[in-house]
Amino acid sequence: MKLSGFKYLADQGVENIWKNKMMAFATFCVLLISLLLVGSSVLFYLNMNSMILGLGNQNEIAIYLDPETAQEDVDAFGEKLKSLENINTVDYISKEQAYESMQDQISRGKAIFDYIDGYDFMPDGFNATVINNDTIEDTVAQISQMEHVESVSSMPQVAEFLRELRRVVTIIAVAIIIALAAVSMIMISNTTKASVFARREEIQIMKYVGATNAFIRMPFFVEGMVTGFFAGAGAFFITWAVYRSVYRILTEQGMLMRAFGIGSIIPFDNIRLYVAFAYLLAGALIGALGSVVSTRRHLDV
Amino acid sequence: MVELQNVSVTYSSGVDALNNVSLKINDGDFAFVVGSSGAGKSTMIKLLLKEIDATSGVVTVNGYNLNKLKKRKIPEFRRTLGFVFQDFRLIPSMTVYENIAFVLRVIDAPVKYIRKRVPYVISLVGLHAKTNSYPDELSGGEKQRVAIARALVNDPQLIIADEPTGNIDPELSYEIVELLKGINDQGTTILMVTHEHDLVRHFGGRIINITDGEIVFDEVISGVTDEPLPEEELAQTMAEAAGGQAQAPSPVTSTEDALIDEVIAALTGADQGGAE
Ligand SMILES: Nc1ncnc2c1ncn2[C@@H]1O[C@H](COP(=O)(O)OP(=O)(O)OP(=O)(O)O)[C@@H](O)[C@H]1O
Ligand SMILES: [Mg+2]
Repeated sequence: MKLSGFKYLADQGVENIWKNKMMAFATFCVLLISLLLVGSSVLFYLNMNSMILGLGNQNEIAIYLDPETAQEDVDAFGEKLKSLENINTVDYISKEQAYESMQDQISRGKAIFDYIDGYDFMPDGFNATVINNDTIEDTVAQISQMEHVESVSSMPQVAEFLRELRRVVTIIAVAIIIALAAVSMIMISNTTKASVFARREEIQIMKYVGATNAFIRMPFFVEGMVTGFFAGAGAFFITWAVYRSVYRILTEQGMLMRAFGIGSIIPFDNIRLYVAFAYLLAGALIGALGSVVSTRRHLDV
Repeated sequence: MVELQNVSVTYSSGVDALNNVSLKINDGDFAFVVGSSGAGKSTMIKLLLKEIDATSGVVTVNGYNLNKLKKRKIPEFRRTLGFVFQDFRLIPSMTVYENIAFVLRVIDAPVKYIRKRVPYVISLVGLHAKTNSYPDELSGGEKQRVAIARALVNDPQLIIADEPTGNIDPELSYEIVELLKGINDQGTTILMVTHEHDLVRHFGGRIINITDGEIVFDEVISGVTDEPLPEEELAQTMAEAAGGQAQAPSPVTSTEDALIDEVIAALTGADQGGAE
């Protein structure tokens, strides 16, 4: 098709939108909401993946002993720990080291430490790494049975929790996507029906003078695509604004994040281009496809 | 070229609209199709446009066997013909120019060609001054001339006109047929359905009468005159038309007179609810 012909058809498509302002707007809104929900599910999923990945390497077990434990018992415990089947390396963290690292973490509340005399209240601790991550839970259980142990924890519990969460989110996201795709298609189908109706005389005449099906459909295709494109753009800007404020809030809660081992939320700037591209493409594609599918039904061409 | 061989059309409602009709219209012919209301004239037109299919028989138009024509070939086929309907079928939101240019855009003609061709056909139908008017701003006759320009614009081999004068003042009907005759002189085949016997009588030519789905008359008769009527003679014809049973004026031979009487008898006999 020649460029002039295409321009004519594109103009017709834009004119369609203008002719059915209300329907086009409703479609725009539904598409926008659909894209937003799908987009935020995907972003949530990506971030969770990034967190799980960040945690995945941490095959570490943190062990804290009863602060009352005598030094030789602590040393003996260290040896015994090393001899355990699944244990790879063992790092001793003395009361003093633990105290210092706590001071670092609570840097803003330094004043508290003025009231604390010495570090004897801190427990002795060990950081152990395991050989096989899959049986880490068993190892944790085994250690917790040992003498002098006050608490044992492994980060993979968080990772496990995130994995479980990811599974649930995946299921919900897929359900949302299917439902929204259906709703979007219905909306676009109705909009197309309305614009087919508004142009039925023209379409009839077009058929008489020998217009091809592709030619008759083209304006509707453009209509759907343009509506979808704008919905994609809208969804992008909303996502941008919301994501950035959520990101800011979470990073300001540095303590909380570290406690969960969440150091790996993706900054929006890193993914802005991909998000924009994905939204625009998805919007335009859904809009265009929806109108093509429904012109096939409503146009009898 | 139009050819029907033993064509019958039965609508899904059970109505037999055409019954074993055979007909051949050669390239360059001008044929009037007459017949009473409900006789099957529009059905035949729809058949030729491939809007409907024959229940039986073979329909050939411009070299296309419509029985075998694939759906995706329909556009290609329709580009070889032009159509004119009683109700004009202009797009109200488009100017005269756009309504005509539209046809060429549909067939993806080059812009340069559109810019030359459209004003040319507009001047052919004498509507140069109305180029940028909208259909609502035109009289019935003018609208129909736009429709004729539109039918002409892609230079079709055949123009099919279903009661093109049906919604127009009788005196303007002559102009419309003159226009179609002029187009026919350039070699375009024209098939025109009409209710107006005066037109048929005046112009003569091939006359096909369909009654109850069958062709009951198909002959060439000479018209009252092939030249445009002088103004007063036209007025007289109008008066006769208003008076009903008009007698054919003098320059017709007696045999032709008899033929015309036969046609008129067939027309007026069957046609109670006609367009007069
Ligand atoms: N779509 C249809 N479905 C069922 N029957 C139809 C349909 N179109 C026409 N008919 C019937 O077929 C017969 C022929 O109709 P057609 O329209 O061809 O008549 P016509 O000669 O054009 O009449 P007129 O001069 O009034 O336009 C009529 O009995 C009509 O009621
Ligand atoms: Mg009819």
